[in-house]
Amino acid sequence: MSGASTMMGVSSGSLVASSGADLTVYIFRRRNRHRHRRFSPGGIYITGSSLIGAAIKAPRITSKNLISVIFCEAVAIYGVIVAIILQTKLESVPTSQIYAPESLRAGYAIFASGIIVGFANLVCGLCVGIIGSSCALSDAQNSSLFVKILVIEIFGSALGLFGVIVGIIMSAQAAWPSKIA
Amino acid sequence: MSSTFGGDETAPFFGFLGAAAALVFSCMGAAYGTAKSGVGVASMGVMRPELVMKSIVPVVMAGVLGIYGLIIAVIISTGINPKAKSYYLFDGYAHLSSGLACGLAGLSAGMAIGIVGDAGVRANAQQPKLFVGMILILIFAEALALYGLIVGIILSSRAGQSRAE
Repeated sequence: MSGASTMMGVSSGSLVASSGADLTVYIFRRRNRHRHRRFSPGGIYITGSSLIGAAIKAPRITSKNLISVIFCEAVAIYGVIVAIILQTKLESVPTSQIYAPESLRAGYAIFASGIIVGFANLVCGLCVGIIGSSCALSDAQNSSLFVKILVIEIFGSALGLFGVIVGIIMSAQAAWPSKIA
Repeated sequence: MSSTFGGDETAPFFGFLGAAAALVFSCMGAAYGTAKSGVGVASMGVMRPELVMKSIVPVVMAGVLGIYGLIIAVIISTGINPKAKSYYLFDGYAHLSSGLACGLAGLSAGMAIGIVGDAGVRANAQQPKLFVGMILILIFAEALALYGLIVGIILSSRAGQSRAE
C-alpha cells in the first residue's frame, strides 16, 4: 500500500508537471460557430502559438520572447528534479513491515509530495503560458511593454516554486522503518 | 514488532492530503488570478504603456494567495510527527479540513481577483478615476482568502486535541 502510494506520487509528480508544459487538448463547441479553446493545458503551446503568429508581422520579438517559453520549460524541469529527489527516498520494505505505521506514513508523505509538486507546477505552467502569449502580442505592438509584462510572468512562476518548496519539505518526512531482522 | 509510533496508522494520509489540498488549490486560484489580470494588463498596455506598472496590483494580490496556501501547507506538514506526538484520525481529519478550507477559499478568491483585475485594468485605462474603486473591489476579493487562512489556522490548531481512549 505504501509502495503503491509512493510510486503514484513520484510518477504523478513528473507526469502532471510535464503536462503543464507540453500537452494540448482541443474541444470544439458544436453549437457555436466560433471555435472556442475550452481547455488546453500546455504553457508552451499557448505561448508558442501566439509568439509565432505575432512574429509574422514583427519578427524582432522572437528572440526576446523565447524567455516565456523557457519559463514554461522550467516548470517541467521542477517536476523532473522532484521526481529524482523522491525516487532516492524510495526503499524496499520487507513483507512483514508493509503495513507498519512508519512505512504507511512514509508512503503517504511521498505521495502527497508528488501530488503537490505536480499540480502546483501544472497550474503554474498554464498561467505562465497565458501571460507569455499576451506578452508576445503586446511586445509586437510596443516594445517597451516587454519588461513590464515579464514582471507579471515572474509572479506567476513563483507559484511553481512554492510547490517545489512544500514538496521537498514534505518528502523529508519520509522515514522508512529501520531494517530489523 | 514494537514501534515508537502512536496513533492511527492511516491518519497521516489525510493529514498530508490536507497539506497538498491547501497548496494545490491556492496555487490554482493564484494562477488564474495572475493569468487573467496579466492578459488584461498586456492588452491595456498597448494603448497606455504608462499605466502598466500601476496595474500590476491585481497580480501581486493574486500572488499573495499562493503564500497563504504555502503557510498552511508548512504548518500542517510540520505538525504531522507521530514520533513526537501521537497522530490519531482526529488529527488527520483536522488537518484535512484545514487544508481544504484554506485551499478552496484561495481558489475562489483567485478567480474573483482574476476577473475583477482583468475588467478593472481595462476600465482604468479609459477612466482613471476608477483606480480606487478597482482596488476596493480587489481587497474584498482578497478578504475571502484571508477568511480561509484564518479558519485553516484555527482548524489545524485543533489537531493536537485528540484523546487516546
